[in-house]
Parts: sequence; structure tokens; C-alpha cells
Amino acid sequence: MEMELKVNQDNCLGCGVCVVACPVNASISNEVAGGHGSKTTETIMMVENGFIKLFSPEKCTKCGTCQLFCPTDAIWLE
Amino acid sequence: MISNTKEVKARDFEISRSAEEKRELLYKDDICIGCGICEKTCPVDAIELGSIGAIVRTDADVPKIVCDEDKCVLCGMCSVVCPVDALEFKIDDEDIKNMEEYPSLISSAEINDEICIYCKACETACPREAITIARNLPERSKLVTGEIEIDKETCIDCGICEEMCPADAITMEHKLPTSDDPTVSSDIIVDKDKCVYCLICKKSCPVDAIKAACRTCSYGEYDLNPEDAETTGASFIDQETCVNCGWCQEICPVDAATVVKSFEGELSVDQEKCQACGACVDICPCNVLSFPASSASGMRPEKVMSDENYCIYCGACENVCPVKAIEVKRTDIKHTPTKSKSWDKKMESLKT
Repeated sequence: MEMELKVNQDNCLGCGVCVVACPVNASISNEVAGGHGSKTTETIMMVENGFIKLFSPEKCTKCGTCQLFCPTDAIWLE
Repeated sequence: MISNTKEVKARDFEISRSAEEKRELLYKDDICIGCGICEKTCPVDAIELGSIGAIVRTDADVPKIVCDEDKCVLCGMCSVVCPVDALEFKIDDEDIKNMEEYPSLISSAEINDEICIYCKACETACPREAITIARNLPERSKLVTGEIEIDKETCIDCGICEEMCPADAITMEHKLPTSDDPTVSSDIIVDKDKCVYCLICKKSCPVDAIKAACRTCSYGEYDLNPEDAETTGASFIDQETCVNCGWCQEICPVDAATVVKSFEGELSVDQEKCQACGACVDICPCNVLSFPASSASGMRPEKVMSDENYCIYCGACENVCPVKAIEVKRTDIKHTPTKSKSWDKKMESLKT
């Protein structure tokens, strides 16, 4: 039973910790891993206009790292 | 028409079919380590491994595997290849792991109580909390002897000895002084079973009210009954939760633990690809993987490190790694023989 990556923008603080913590993002873009937010939409998720947005959720491997780091339950697997 | 029936209890399930013979598959989610070997081995693709990274790390109330009862043919293969007994397969109430016709993985973990010194190192090290060591310690009073007496006439009830005593052997019964009886204590008692004759009380007494002597100090070494100094006990391994990882064997100072692993292989981590997310560290049932200590606070930890001594080559880490940085190879499989060529082939297919 495959889980799905979900976001709730109402909870999102726009801190970007999920973007930085995500190991798949880091392997796609080193800038993202360094916290410099490259503009590539190749990554799974990015903060856009202060809110988290999913760009390539199909790349998600459901490892749960984003959920572990998110302080407000704005991103999770279900 | 005969069909399978599936019963789901919490995160566990049970699939059964009653025809000429009763065939049952029972799954226990709390035993499952999420390795996915059953999914890969199932001949009819009935088993699906869930998003184990997310399930294990976020403690989601979702089973680690699901089995489609319509696809399941109740062959029992998943049960035989499961490295941890999360899947049990019974034919007419008998576990096929006990049946000669079927192959089964050879693995075990044992502690020899004849050799065990009950130090509890294995109990502490076991990553599955599968080991319990019950021990009876020797009686202190039989290991050290001496004399102690408090002269109550000289004693001023200051309580220093009570506070100083490292063995908690001295008890003073405190009371409020009255005009009738101006003392602050009604009694002072030495528990000779607890006293170790260290003479701390004697040395700290401000009025020299304590007379005490240690037999060893007075007369030198004397012979103890070796039996009195012995710690006895019993060890217990919960075979259901034990994954035969080998921590107990490695850590045991007297080689009392023996672990036989069913798989041999190699584990490699590609440090270039690794993003240090920790999914493998969290999923590993054997504490094989860990992060080296971070060099400074706020620093991203170094890449992941591994100690293959404890690896059971289940492949859970390889499955969970989001960036395919881990490779687990199984080079040898120990299993009991079977006459069935198809079963033998399936067992051998666990090699990668």
C-alpha cells in the first residue's frame, strides 16, 4: 500500500526545512541541500511565495524525512 | 466454490482456506522488519510492501505489508523466506517450518547458561530487546565480614555515620527532644547484612563512639567459599523478536552466545550518493548503520557508517534509501534441503 506525499499550506511556515532535508532534493540539486534554494522545479518540493508547493511528487520515495523535520505538520505521508 | 478468506486484526492479517486441508497465512506486523523479501519472492505478486521508511519513522498506523487475498494462493513461500518469522504458514495447524518437505532458513541465537556470567551486556546491546537476563547476586554479608558496635552512651546522635555510610547499613530513629528526654534519637541500628566494614562511620564519628574492624584488614586475605561469591541466573531469548543479528555474540565477554545467520553477503554504502537522511539508520533492525558523531553543533552529520558484523543482509536499508546509495548483496543462503526443485530454485533466488 503506497503512501502519498501531502501538504497543507495552511500549516506551512515557509521555513523550507523539508526542502533542505529531503535526500532526493539534495541529490537533484546541491544548492537545495545547501539551503540556497535554486529555482529548479525538478525537485520534489519548493517554497514558493512563502508556502510549500509540490513540483515533482512522483520522485518521492516515501522515506519520511520531510515529515520528521517539519515543525507544523504541513507535509506528511498518508 | 472454495475461496480464501482474509481477516484483518489491527495491522496483522490472516488469510485462510479450508478445503481438503486447512491452509493459513498469519502476518504479525510488529515482528515485520520491512525487508521486502516476501514481496520479491511471492510467485503471484500478492504481497505489496508499504512505504516502510515513512511507516517506521513516523510510526504510522499502517501495516508494513499488505497481501491481496484474491491473488494469494497460500503456497507458504513468503513464510519460509521471511528472515524474522513475521509470516507464519500452517497446513492443518502445523507450521511448515517444522515440516521436512519444506525448506526453511537456518538461523539461531543461543546463550549457554553453563558459560554465561550474567553480566547483561547482551541484554543492553540487543537492538530488538529480545534478551532477558535474570540474575541472583551473591549476599554481601558473605563476601566481607567483621565486627561493628556503636556505644550508645558515647553517641551524641549527630547522624553523621548514617549519612556517610555508603552501604545504607546505619539507620537512626530521629525524634524531637523533650524536657523529659533531651536526646534527638531514640535508637541507632546497624544492619550487619548490609555493612561492608569499610570503617567510614568509625573514621567520621566525632566522638569515637563506633568500634569496628574488618576481618580482611585485621587478618589479611581469608578464604571465602567460592560458591558464596557466585552470581547465578538464567538467560532468555525471545525467539519471536530476535533477528539473529549477532550483537549478543559479539559483545559477550565469555563467548556464551552463539548466533547462526541464514544469509551471508555484503553491504556497501556509496558515500558520494548518500545524503545522510537517516532512513536506513532508522529502518535497520540490527543497529548496523549509524552516523558518526557530528563535528560541531548545527553541522550536518557526516555520511552514514556501517558495521557488517551485525548485518543479516535483509536488504531493508537498500529498499528504503531514497537515493539508491546502499547495495545489499546476498552471496549465500543457509536452508534445510528440499526435494522440490521449484522451492529450491526460489530459495536460491534470494541470492543477488
